[in-house]
Amino acid sequence: MNTDGLIQTQDLTKAYACGPTQVVALRDVTLSVARGRFMGVTGASGSGKSTLMNLLGGLDTASSGSIRVGGRLISELSHAELARFRRDTVGMIFQSFNLVVSYSAIENVAFPLLFANVAKKERIERAAGLLQVVGLEGRQDHRPTELSGGEQQRVAIARALVNRPEILLADEPTGNLDSKTSQQIVQTLHDLKTEQSLTVVMISHEEALLREFSDEVIYLQDGAVTSHEILRARP
Amino acid sequence: MRSSDYIEQAWSNLRKRKLRTFLTTSGVVIGIGALVCMFAFGQGVQRNIRDQFDELELFNYVNVSLKNRSPRPRRRHFDPDAPQAHDEQAEPNIPPGERPVVLDDSVLDEFMQIDGVEAAFPEMRFPAQIRVGDEERFTLIQVLSAGACQSGLVQFRAGGPYTTNEPNEMVISDSLLRRLGNRKPETAVGQEVEIRTVTLDFSLTSLLRMVFARGDQRLPTSNRRYPFKVVGVAERMGFGGPLPIKSDVYIPPRAAEKMRKLVLNSISEIFLPANRAAGYSMVSVKVTSPSDIPAVKKTLEERGFRTFALMDQLEEMQKGFIIMDMFLLAVGMIGITVASLGIVNTMVMSILERYREIGIMKAVGATDGDVQKIFLFESGMIGLLGGAFGLTLAWVVSVAINAIINSFSSRQGVPYIQYFNFPWWLCLGAITFSILVSLIAGVYPTLRAARVDPVVALRHD
Repeated sequence: MNTDGLIQTQDLTKAYACGPTQVVALRDVTLSVARGRFMGVTGASGSGKSTLMNLLGGLDTASSGSIRVGGRLISELSHAELARFRRDTVGMIFQSFNLVVSYSAIENVAFPLLFANVAKKERIERAAGLLQVVGLEGRQDHRPTELSGGEQQRVAIARALVNRPEILLADEPTGNLDSKTSQQIVQTLHDLKTEQSLTVVMISHEEALLREFSDEVIYLQDGAVTSHEILRARP
Repeated sequence: MRSSDYIEQAWSNLRKRKLRTFLTTSGVVIGIGALVCMFAFGQGVQRNIRDQFDELELFNYVNVSLKNRSPRPRRRHFDPDAPQAHDEQAEPNIPPGERPVVLDDSVLDEFMQIDGVEAAFPEMRFPAQIRVGDEERFTLIQVLSAGACQSGLVQFRAGGPYTTNEPNEMVISDSLLRRLGNRKPETAVGQEVEIRTVTLDFSLTSLLRMVFARGDQRLPTSNRRYPFKVVGVAERMGFGGPLPIKSDVYIPPRAAEKMRKLVLNSISEIFLPANRAAGYSMVSVKVTSPSDIPAVKKTLEERGFRTFALMDQLEEMQKGFIIMDMFLLAVGMIGITVASLGIVNTMVMSILERYREIGIMKAVGATDGDVQKIFLFESGMIGLLGGAFGLTLAWVVSVAINAIINSFSSRQGVPYIQYFNFPWWLCLGAITFSILVSLIAGVYPTLRAARVDPVVALRHD
């Protein structure tokens, strides 16, 4: 195991109680993602990809095992500490965009800054700057329903980056997009990773897309890592 | 999050759901409006009573009478062989020789020497007809010593006080003068006035007339006419005493003694001769300030007099006011309870609708506390709006009710009365209370919001 990874998991297990039986969504997952790498995660439906993503993002807590991010054991953080971790360290992108429908694009992007005590003027400035980065400078006052799927996902990417996180977690970001738009979105993520020295973990069904942009890919099956492929060596 | 952000978020979220916010806030508006209206009415009643008391200066008076004026011992204590008479039994602390036996002018002069006493005068009023020229009006005459009349108790619009207790001179109020058709007080000074008293007549002729009356059965009364001269016109009507009735005419004690009249103080006085020299049955002592009442009362009681001050009843009155306030509050609380249930319902609905949004908040870094506060601010904002508009509604309703009642009562000659009172603490308290109730109503929904699992919420459609 690589011990200098920004993200490290050790025997990470997540089990859900489903009536009298227990469903193990993730089983003894041990992995390491080095700083500045683009890791792809793929596998069939129900293989535990989203569960892994939720655990890495601090949205969920593990049944056993540990997660370290930057050496910090996040599996032992309190609710409030986890919230701060989500706010300051990671940015998350979802398949269904998860934008607040009643907010405009710029309000959605600025939303996380509310919880970081950033002044309104700075919130607007930072959000506008990021919308420009993702190519939506003219659409900042549009609501999600007035944007295409690709544009919505760009807004979500901008929102994920607004708190300047170290890690970008993308859960099926192209799941609701056509192939051309998917390509553009992943290209954007890849460019941002390079420009902003981000560490990206992206889940996708589209193995070809992952292989095109990822530095390494892991394969999940029934909650366990079956394969870990290094596509591009670390510089 | 900053407080300004919470407020902005709350306002923005409420504006997005205008109809629901309007309906929920309307419930609070009606609840607070009803509560404030009731409370303001209670406050208005209390203020009017207090103002009336203050106007009559009823809290500035001590009524003084002799103890055991009717020397009838209680049967239980009566012992004909006892060495001392029954008076001593009733008042064991006062040496027999020092017991006051009469309330006369010399006693009034003594009262005037007590610290805090502004004036002392016999409490003697009687009804009479006043005739000036062709005009005649019924009024209540107050017997007032020359000393009291000169003491500043009476403010004059024209003329001045009578200087001795003897002559048939009088002071008349400006208001009675107006009712008698004279709007120039200065012209009334020196004018001849006739006072016509009513008295019970138990003479044989009168009794026979009553017994053998045919059809027209009348009380055995007779009238007496007395000529008086106006020496002064008083600015205001009367002053306090045991009867909260204003007097319009003041006359000196010696002049009053010579008159046959129906005194209102005690029924027993009806049967007493007009020229009795037994002193007064009651004396009113006016103190400089209500705070002087306890000391003056103590001094008078130590001298063996019985005292009564309306000030003593103030505590009982205040208890009554509190009970009235509590009752009105309880009625008003019904509306508030219904409104708070509306807030709970609205907030629960809002949380269910924004379930996914709560998940997003948490995913982007909101703590449970942040989520809770966002919804609490919304709830509090409903309370603030409801309180402010409820207060406005209560004020509008009070103005309307005042206008309606006064339009009816003015036709009966009743002066304008403000039935509602909105003191600053009621206004501030209503808004604070509204916010507080809304926050309490919001506690359960906001706790639910804070407990939302972000993973579940983000999957929620």
